[in-house]
Amino acid sequence: MNASHQNIFLTKLEAALSDVPGALRNTRFSASDAKNDGDIETLDRIRQRTKKERLALLDRMAAESREINLNVLPVTDVDAAGIRIQQLVKEKQPEQGTEKHVVAWQHSLVKSLNLKNRFKEISVPIYFTEFSNPEEKTDLKERILHAFMGITSADFCIADSATMVLKTHPGQARSVSLAPPIHVAVISLEQILADLTELYALLRKDLTHDSAGLTRCMTFITGPSKTADIEATMVYGVHGPREVYIYVITG
Amino acid sequence: MKHIATEDYKTQAKTAVRNRVLQGALAGLQERLGKGTALAYQNLPEGPDLRYKAHDIRMHAIHNLDILLKQLTEKIRQRGGHVFFAESGPAAAAYCLNVARKHDVKLVVKGKSMVTEEIRLNNALINDGIEVYETDLGEYIIQLAGENPSHILAPAIHKTREDIGRLFTEKLNIPYTDDPPTLTQAARKALREKFFAADMGISGCNIACAETGHITVVSNEGNIRMASTLPKIHMVFMGMERIVDSLEDHNILLRMLCRGASAQKLATYVSNIAGPALDDHMDGPEEFHLVILDNGRSKILADKDFREMLCCVRCGACLNVCPVYRKIGGHAYGFAYSGPVGAVVTPLLIGINRARHLCQGEPLCGACRDICPINIDLPRMLLELRWKLANGDSAWQVHRENNLEKMTHQLWSMIIQNRKIYDVTLSAARFLQKLFPRQDKMISRMPPPLNGWTDSRHMKPLAQTPFSKKWKQRQSSKKQ
Repeated sequence: MNASHQNIFLTKLEAALSDVPGALRNTRFSASDAKNDGDIETLDRIRQRTKKERLALLDRMAAESREINLNVLPVTDVDAAGIRIQQLVKEKQPEQGTEKHVVAWQHSLVKSLNLKNRFKEISVPIYFTEFSNPEEKTDLKERILHAFMGITSADFCIADSATMVLKTHPGQARSVSLAPPIHVAVISLEQILADLTELYALLRKDLTHDSAGLTRCMTFITGPSKTADIEATMVYGVHGPREVYIYVITG
Repeated sequence: MKHIATEDYKTQAKTAVRNRVLQGALAGLQERLGKGTALAYQNLPEGPDLRYKAHDIRMHAIHNLDILLKQLTEKIRQRGGHVFFAESGPAAAAYCLNVARKHDVKLVVKGKSMVTEEIRLNNALINDGIEVYETDLGEYIIQLAGENPSHILAPAIHKTREDIGRLFTEKLNIPYTDDPPTLTQAARKALREKFFAADMGISGCNIACAETGHITVVSNEGNIRMASTLPKIHMVFMGMERIVDSLEDHNILLRMLCRGASAQKLATYVSNIAGPALDDHMDGPEEFHLVILDNGRSKILADKDFREMLCCVRCGACLNVCPVYRKIGGHAYGFAYSGPVGAVVTPLLIGINRARHLCQGEPLCGACRDICPINIDLPRMLLELRWKLANGDSAWQVHRENNLEKMTHQLWSMIIQNRKIYDVTLSAARFLQKLFPRQDKMISRMPPPLNGWTDSRHMKPLAQTPFSKKWKQRQSSKKQ
C-alpha cells in the first residue's frame, strides 16, 4: 500500500513539473566530483591551521558566545578543566531540593578529567552513560532526566556562531546535553572550526569514508535554551539547560 | 475557534486595530525582528545577495522535487525509518492515528509545526482519546487558552504577561505572577512531566537534505529536541516542498532560515535527524516516521505562476515587516498562515474566492519580498491572485468576485480615453461632492458603494480648479 502511495504521489509531482526544461532537471547529490575540489581545499585549510590561527578562532568563538549568554572558557590542560568543573559543581545548586548528581558521556576526553575522584571529594555522584543491559539503560535514562548537570564533549565547535556540534555515538546519550539545567562541554582546541562550510566539508568527507555519515542524529547547540514568548522578554532555560559552559583545552 | 475563518478578515482586522495592547506588541515585534533581520543579511560573510542564491537553491529543489523526495525516502528507509506519502490532511492524520493505536499511545508531545496546524492534527488525535501537548512555550500558552497562534514564530504575541499569569493560575494551579521567568519555570515544570511520560513526539521539518537523507528541525527552547529524543516514537510532518538537494545548499538555507526567523546566526538547537536510534544508543526514538504531505501543494507546483511559493520555508520574516500585519495581527488572516505568506498561500490551499480578502488586503509595497531570506516575489503572486479574482479563472475554479467593480473599471477606461467625457465627468463629480459632509476639509461620509472608502478613513475631495487649468492660467500670466 505504502509503495503505491509513493508512486502515485511522486508521479503526480513529475507530471506537475512536465514543463520544466530537461536541463534544469538535474540533481547535485550524486554528482559529487565538482564540489570535492572545494572540499579538498577546505579540508587542507583545516589541517594546516597553525596554533596561532586556532587560538584566533577560539577568540572569535568566545566573542560570539558573549552575545548569546554562553560561557567559553579556555584552560591549559585536562587537570585545570577538572578543577574548574569540580568548583562549578560545588557552587551551583540544583533546581529543586538539595540532591546533586551529575551525568557524563562515556568519552575519552571527559574520562581524562578524572571527575569520579574529584566529585568523590565533594560527595557528588557521577554516572557515565554506558550500559551493558536493558535495566542499566532504563536506570541511567532516569538519572539523566533528574541530573543537575550534564557533561559532554563535542565532535566540533564552530567559531562563527559559537556552536557545538554533537553527533550521536554509543555511550554518548543525547539527553545529557539537554535534560539537566546545566550543560558543561569539554573540547580541545583542534576541534574548533571556522564555519558551517568547514563542518559540511568534513561531513561530506565522512559520507565517503564512513557510512555513519552524520550519524542518526547530529545536534548543533548554540548557547543556552531560551524563549521570548512572553512579551518578548528573554528568559533562559525553558526546556533545555539555562547555563552552558564550554571548556576549551588549549594545551 | 474555527479552523478556517478567512471570511471574517474585515471584522477581525477592525477588532485588532482597536486593541491597543496588540498594537503595541506588534509594533515592538516589528521594530526588533524586522530591523534585526535586515541587519543580519548585511552582516552575512557572503553579503546580503546570498538571498538570491538561496532563491536559486530553492527553485532548483522545487524543479527536482520528485527526485529529491525519492532520494530522501530511500535513505531514511535504509536506516529503518518509515516514510508515508500523504495526499491530504486527513490521510496524514489517519496514518498518525494508526501508528498511535498500534503502539497504544496515550500521550503526545508536539514541537511547533505549522503544517500540523494546517491539517488540524491535534483535533484528530484528541478526538481519538489521545492527550496532546504543545511544548513550545508560546504554543502551550495558546493551547491552554484554547486559541489559534497569531504569528509563525511568536504565537502568543497577542497576549500580555497579565493574561498569561491569570491563565497559568487557572490552568496550572500556581499562585498568580506576571513575572516572565517565573511563568516560564512553571511551564517548564508542567511540560517536563509530559515529556518524560509521552509515548510519541511530533515535530515539523524545517528543511530536509536529499544528499544525506536527513531532516532538520530548529528551535530555541529545546522542546523539539525533547520531543524527538525522549519518546519511543518520533513522527515528523513535512510539507513536501521542504527539501534541498545537497549539504552545500543546506548550509546556506539553514543560515538564511535562522536569520529570517529571528535574526540569529543559528538558532539555539538545530537537530539533524537521519532515522531511528541504533540499539547501542542510550536514547533517541526507537521508531522514526516521516509523513510527507501534499494537501494541495501539487496543484501549486503545476502552476508556473505560483510554483515559486513552494520555495517558502515559513520563517515568518515577512510578518515582521508587513505594514498590514503590523496593524491587524495574525488572527485576521483566519488560517494557520498569516501575514504576506498567508495572503498568498492560504488562497492557494483553501480556495481563492474563499480567502480573497487576504490577498486583497495587502498593499503590494514589496517589503515582504525585500526581507524574505529567499527573495520570494510575493507581490507578484498577490497580483496574480487578484487578477484571477477580477477576471475569473477556470483552472483554479475562481469566479469573478465583483461584477460591479469590473463594470466600473470598464466605464472608467472609456471615460479616460476621451478628454471631453473625462472633463464632463470630473465637473459632475466636483459638483456632486459638495453634497457629502466634510470634516477638516476631507469628505467624511459617502453613500454605498462608495462608503467602502469613507467607513474607515476620510477622502480628499477633488480640487475645485484642476491642475491642468491652473497650469494653463500660470503659463498665460507669465507670457503677459
